[in-house]
This record gives sequence, C-alpha cells and structure tokens, in this order.
Amino acid sequence: MAQSQYIVVVGCGRLGSILACRLSSQGNSVVVIDPYESSFNNLNSEFSGFQIVGDASELAVLRSAKADKADCLLAVTDKDNVNLMVAQIAKNIFQIPTVLARVFDPAREKIYRDFGIATISPTQLSADAFITNLSS
Amino acid sequence: MLLTKNKSNRYTSFLRERYRAIVGYTGLICAIAGLVILSPLLALFFYPEELSLAWAFAIPGIALVIIGLILWRSLTPKRNVSLSLQEGAIIVVLTWLLAIIVGTFPFITLEGLNFTQAMFESTSGWTTTGLSVVDVEQASKLILLYRSNIELAGGAGLAIITLSAIAGPIGAGLTSAEGRSEQLAPNVRRSAKLVLGIYSGYCVVGIIALVIAGMGWFDAINHAFAALSTGGFSTRSDSIGYWDSPRVEAVTIVLMLLGTLNFVTGYFLIRGKFKAVVRNGEVRLQAVIIPLCILIILFGVGIGLYPTLGKSIRVAIFEVITALSTTGFSTVGYSDWNSLGWTIMIILMLIGGGTGATAGGIKQFRIYALYRALVWEIKSMLLPDNAVTEADYWQGDRRKFLSDNQIKTIALFVFLYLILFTVGVIITAAYGYSLPESLFEYASTLSTVGLSIGVTSPDAPTGLLWTQIIGMFLGRLEFFTIFIGLIRLCQDVFPVVFGKK
Repeated sequence: MAQSQYIVVVGCGRLGSILACRLSSQGNSVVVIDPYESSFNNLNSEFSGFQIVGDASELAVLRSAKADKADCLLAVTDKDNVNLMVAQIAKNIFQIPTVLARVFDPAREKIYRDFGIATISPTQLSADAFITNLSS
Repeated sequence: MLLTKNKSNRYTSFLRERYRAIVGYTGLICAIAGLVILSPLLALFFYPEELSLAWAFAIPGIALVIIGLILWRSLTPKRNVSLSLQEGAIIVVLTWLLAIIVGTFPFITLEGLNFTQAMFESTSGWTTTGLSVVDVEQASKLILLYRSNIELAGGAGLAIITLSAIAGPIGAGLTSAEGRSEQLAPNVRRSAKLVLGIYSGYCVVGIIALVIAGMGWFDAINHAFAALSTGGFSTRSDSIGYWDSPRVEAVTIVLMLLGTLNFVTGYFLIRGKFKAVVRNGEVRLQAVIIPLCILIILFGVGIGLYPTLGKSIRVAIFEVITALSTTGFSTVGYSDWNSLGWTIMIILMLIGGGTGATAGGIKQFRIYALYRALVWEIKSMLLPDNAVTEADYWQGDRRKFLSDNQIKTIALFVFLYLILFTVGVIITAAYGYSLPESLFEYASTLSTVGLSIGVTSPDAPTGLLWTQIIGMFLGRLEFFTIFIGLIRLCQDVFPVVFGKK
C-alpha cells in the first residue's frame, strides 16, 4: 500500500478494531462504524481516524461516512447477513472499488461469490490451517 | 523479592524506551521551533542594514535546530511509535517550555530586557497573547517580525506544524494534547496538513487585503500574522488605532474572526457547506453575543465618549471582536471607559474564541455546551419522570449528543478556569492595583488576549510578571495538558532518579 487510501471499516469488534488501528497507523484515512459507542474502546492510541456511531446497513450512516469517496470497505461485523448487505450496498450503490466481507458460514460463501463480493472466511481459513498442519 | 526486582527492572527499561521516543520527538519539534526563531532572518533580504543584529537570532535558532536534530536522529526508534495522550502532553509541555526559554535570547541581547521581561515577552508571543513590555517604536524590524512569527507558529501549534512538515509521530495523542481534538480528516497527518494549508491561505489573503486597505508591506505582514494567530502584537504603540482607517479595521476584524473560527468550521466554510457552518454551536453563540455586546458598548460607552456616531460604531464593533477573538489589537484606550464597558470586555475575554482555533479563553463551545445542558436540565424537569431526552449539538455535518461525562469535564474546566482567574486577580490586586484593573488585566492574560489598561509595563513588579507568564502558559495549553504532562513526568522520573520503589 504505497499511498494513503480512504478506508471504511464496518464493525469495531476484535477484528474490526485491529484492522482499523493497523490501517490508521500505516497512514490511511480510516472511518469505523459501529452501532455501540462502547465498541470504540477496542481502538488503541494508534487509531487517528473518525468514529461513527450507527447501523451501517442504513444508507444515511454510510453516507455520513462518505462511503461514496471510499477506496475500500471492509465489512467485518459478527453477523454474516449484515456483512453481506453492507458489502452489497457498498459495491452496487456506492461503487467502492474494493469491498471485502467476512463470512463465518462457509455455506454462504457461494452466494457471496454470485454477488461478486470478495470474502474472507475465518472458518474456511482455520479448516485449511488444520489440514495443512496435519499433512505436514 | 527477586520477582519484584525483576518487575521493576522491566518497568524501568520499558520507561526508558518510551522516554527515548518522547525525547526524540521533543527534539524534532524543538528543531522546528528553532526554524521559527531563525525565520525573521528572511527579512534581511529587504532590510540588509540590520545584518549586524542577525546573530541574536542565529545563535539560539541554530543551536535549537542542531540539538533537536541530534536528539531526533539518535533517540527516535526506527519504527514509528504511536503516542498516548499522556506522552503527547509531556512532549507538548517540554517543547513549549524550551521554545519559550530559548525564545528569550533575542529579547535579552537586542532589546536589553532582563530575564523576567524577556520571558514575559517570549511567553506572550508563543502563547499568542500579545501583552508586551517592548517599546515597539524603538525596536528593530527583525525583532518586530520575530514577535509576529512566534505568534504565528504558536497559534497553529508547534506539534501541528511538525506533524505536517515531516512524518512525525502517529496517533492523535500529540495534537489533542495541544488542544486540537477535532480533526478535519480521518487521518492525523492529513488533518495537520489541511490545518496548516488553511492557515497559510488565510495569511496570504490577509496580507494582501491589508496592503490593499492601505498598510505598508511590513506592517501588513506583521498585522496579518498577529490577527490570524489571535496574538495581537503590533508594530505601533497605538496598535490598529495608528491608522485610524475604517478599511484597515474592517479587514482586521475579518482576519480576527477567521483566526477565532474553529479550523473544522473554517474548512466547511471554504468548501461552501454553509449549512454545517450555520448549525455550528460556536457560530450561533457568536451570532448572539457579538451584536448584543456591540449594542451595549455602543449605547453604554461609545455615544457619550466619542465625538461622532461613526467613530462610536467603529470602536464598538472593533473592541468587541478583538476581545472575544482574544486577539488584543485596540483602536482606543480603555482607561476612560465606564464600568459597564469594562465588565462587558472582561466577560468577552473570559469567553474567548473557538475550540480548535488559535484563540484562548474558556472557549465558546464550552459556554454553548453548558447553556445547552442547562436548558436540557430545565426541560427534563418539566417532562414526565421517564421521558428520555438528550441535548444535541452539531459538529461539522454530524449530530452529536452531550453526554454527562462531557458536561462534567466542561464544568470542571470552567470551574478551574475561574479559580485560576480569581487567584491571578488576587495576586494582581495584592501588588496594589485596583480591582477593575486587576480583573481586566488578568482576564486578558489568562485568556491570552493581550488588551492592557496599563498594568503590564516594563517596570511592573517581577512577581506580577511571573504570575502573568504562568497565566498565559496555562491559558494557551488549557491546564489539563500541563497538569497531566508535568505530573506524569514527575511520577516517571523521580522513582528512576532516586531509586525508590
């Protein structure tokens, strides 16, 4: 990542906060969205972006995060359905170039792929990791 | 026993590492402060006859730059370390103290001030107060420009300049320690660059506007710097009153208002988002206070005192804005004003400018928030017990709600402000000045305004000058930063030095 990007992180739990802090400390402009203000306590002092309290599946909240100007959106809430919906909105309405969503349930990955949304599945990843460990 | 020893060793080495970073970044900011001290030398191109004075700026400036760079190069860790608010506070307090102390050098050597007077002048400059013990009619061009430049740098904040100039420390700790918790962009460095960009833009426009209004280039540069930083050093002993020109006053008023406007609001204004500007609490508060006070000063003071109605109107507008924006330019003296005028001026000075601007004082946002909280409290008493309401305010284009926590912090700040104000007034009064004089002068000091009714002078008692120095310093950095920084520093340094614990 050479130059500074404008990144929207949806969900500020364990994963979202790590992403937001790292990306922010790399010099990117980061906005995090979470419905609970207390979630922002997960952020450490490395984070220097904006925090928005709100439900990211609402258009107004995404608009206030200037999603139309974003280079990248990461949907990492703990709910697959929310992630899918936010990712879809980001992709189709706001035309964000890079959209990544987290999905827990591997069965849903296919639907995501059909919608053209890149996914990262922790379940799939750990399954792969287990198997590579076994075979080595 | 062994366990505790190991533990404290580990803690000591952790502290050592953190302090390497802190001192390293302090060095970096000091180097920038050194450049600011060197900056008046640029004027030598236009005034080569003052070359003989250049050494007084070159010695402290170059020394600070070199020491700062050495510290930065040798101590700062390779990997960027993010700083917490406490560490940011330590850096800010250390750099400001160093900048102020080194900044006394030109005043001592060129103006023949003693150390106390030089400290006073230097503090007054860096904190953008504008109270002065220098005779500006006798001073050289370099000294005058030097005073304006340190105001300009002090107004923006040293950390901001450093952050945007060089890849400095990351994390919002440093900027919020210097009183800029609101950001323009979701990234500290870009935010700092934007602030500096807007600030320089204001400067260029300000200088040109003042020249068009009828000032010479040198005066225009000095006054634009002093107005935008809400500092208020002038190159004339009559301040803006020297020109006695409505056009100069009008331009200066606009510049002072820009200086006192929160940079975030200013950014919205530049981008043409007037809705966000109009909804802003500080703008609304100003829209009520300024006309109200102008009317009170006009009818209560001006009409009886000045020969023409035009003059009274000009005086009323200018003095209200210079006090509220904490700039401290003046067009008239205040000794012949009545008590009503003095009271209004003292209240305006205490309220002060906008948060996240270059101004001082309690800050308009805090007053506005307390007002909203008060209305909210009364309203909620009238509503049924279980009704849920919240006091809202607009910050940029986002609606926010006042939390109890926020109100508590603000109320404590205002309380502390008034305590320090009272202490300052008591000390001033103890030196034999009258109560109105003490109130006026210390309000002016603590809010970093710079209006004076004659208490501040080169022959003022040493103790009084030091009281004012402390007042200006506390007022600029908003108490809490200084307290946090100093307490943290003592807590960390004493056990290590004296081997306790």
